Amino acid sequence: MKPVTRTLVYLYLVIGLGTTLFLVHCGLTALTVTVPERANVNERVTFVMHSGAEPRIEEPGTYTTQLLAGIMVPKSWNARENAVLTFTSPKGNGVMRMIPDSEIEPVSGVSWHQAAKNMFGIGPNLVDDFEWIVYRSTQAYTFRNNEDISFDVNVECNVGAENMLVRLGFYVGSSIENLRPEDTDYKKVAFSQVFEVTGGEGDLIDFVNPQLASVQPVRSLDNDIITLTFDAGVTQTALEGQEDIYLSIRGYDDAGNLVAEINERSGKTRLTAVGGKRYRIDFWPRSYFNVDQNQRIARLEYFYTDATGAQRVGYGNTEEPFTYTFRCQ
Amino acid sequence: MMKINVILPVFLLLVGLTGLSSCEDNVAKVATVEAEKDITGNWKVVKLTRNGEDLSQRLDLGGFRISFHPDGSYTLANELPFVVHAPGTYQLNDPQYPFALLLTPEGGDDNVAAGFQFPVVKGKRQLSLTFSLGCGNNTYQFNFERENPEL
Repeated sequence: MKPVTRTLVYLYLVIGLGTTLFLVHCGLTALTVTVPERANVNERVTFVMHSGAEPRIEEPGTYTTQLLAGIMVPKSWNARENAVLTFTSPKGNGVMRMIPDSEIEPVSGVSWHQAAKNMFGIGPNLVDDFEWIVYRSTQAYTFRNNEDISFDVNVECNVGAENMLVRLGFYVGSSIENLRPEDTDYKKVAFSQVFEVTGGEGDLIDFVNPQLASVQPVRSLDNDIITLTFDAGVTQTALEGQEDIYLSIRGYDDAGNLVAEINERSGKTRLTAVGGKRYRIDFWPRSYFNVDQNQRIARLEYFYTDATGAQRVGYGNTEEPFTYTFRCQ
Repeated sequence: MMKINVILPVFLLLVGLTGLSSCEDNVAKVATVEAEKDITGNWKVVKLTRNGEDLSQRLDLGGFRISFHPDGSYTLANELPFVVHAPGTYQLNDPQYPFALLLTPEGGDDNVAAGFQFPVVKGKRQLSLTFSLGCGNNTYQFNFERENPEL
């Protein structure tokens, strides 16, 4: 190889290596969160995210970006309306603004909130009634090499009117990096320990512990497509060892009158095994119960049975049926 | 000889760099007219998601068809929950850059709007409609493909 060509090749290699090192060594430190153990319904609670920046930039280059922070909370908290995010750092304090729904996250092609939901999911929670909401600092900040800082993001939010056990999600990131799947340096995610909301009316919504039976989406009407699941691994039941699990179900209207009942062992009522002793069945209630156009189903009562219908499991592994009320709020 | 040794690589480098920066917006200067979106035909469901969760393999999607006719009417073969349940008329909110499909079922005065996308997936044109059925928080996306009339 001729000397000049060789020099150029080396130059390319050095630049390439430098770029790689820059990417590898720059970024955010691990995210930790401070979340109280419990709160009363409708209480305004503060959650704190702790993270930091470790810029490793080749002098005299700088890195200018806006801080991103995201929260994953139950939809019922209505956090889009009432959450306020602020941050404190040696480079200044500020308020964060929710990224508009119309703004597309460039890598995924969907809104930032949906992109975060797709990427981070619901963490250790078992039931999905959550939304990710992503916020951005109003100002941009410029970092120089080795300008290490730590910062806190404070989240103030009302916890809603429902009793629940939940693990909340948190995210910090850098606005110019987007949500690249392969990136681990500029997006940091953490889920809290179990957070309990108490003092409200109605059943406890347990997002964390496995449930014998559950309905998804958590909030739906009879015109939604719903999924009923049975988790035989939660406790020993009368259906222990059964491979074929069937649904026996009744629909009631607002006045509590029986509208329809399906109590048969057939393809229509058979649950599909999804592994790990879990079973599910998906249906559109209006069609499943074959109700008239004017008829509404307000509430479901159901059991899971064996192939004969003789053995059945109900709420809390008793003879009482599982219940589900159709509602949106 | 030495000169050539220096000049040639530098020349090649410059040519290479010019190549990188030569993507000027000549392309953008070519006048194009966005085609009007033609959705007429019979469409079958190929994918159904609820809040992003794919239900396609879990529900029987086979029976559902929606047909858009050239005269501006649509008809349904209805075995799935859908945003409308009666035949009627349809309209895109913008013929060239639509983002909503407006359906007006017979016997009702109100438009029902569904989010509209018209992507090409694996070489096939898809019609993608997004709407809620029960609670507003639950979003369903139906992806349709044109049914081949020969089959």
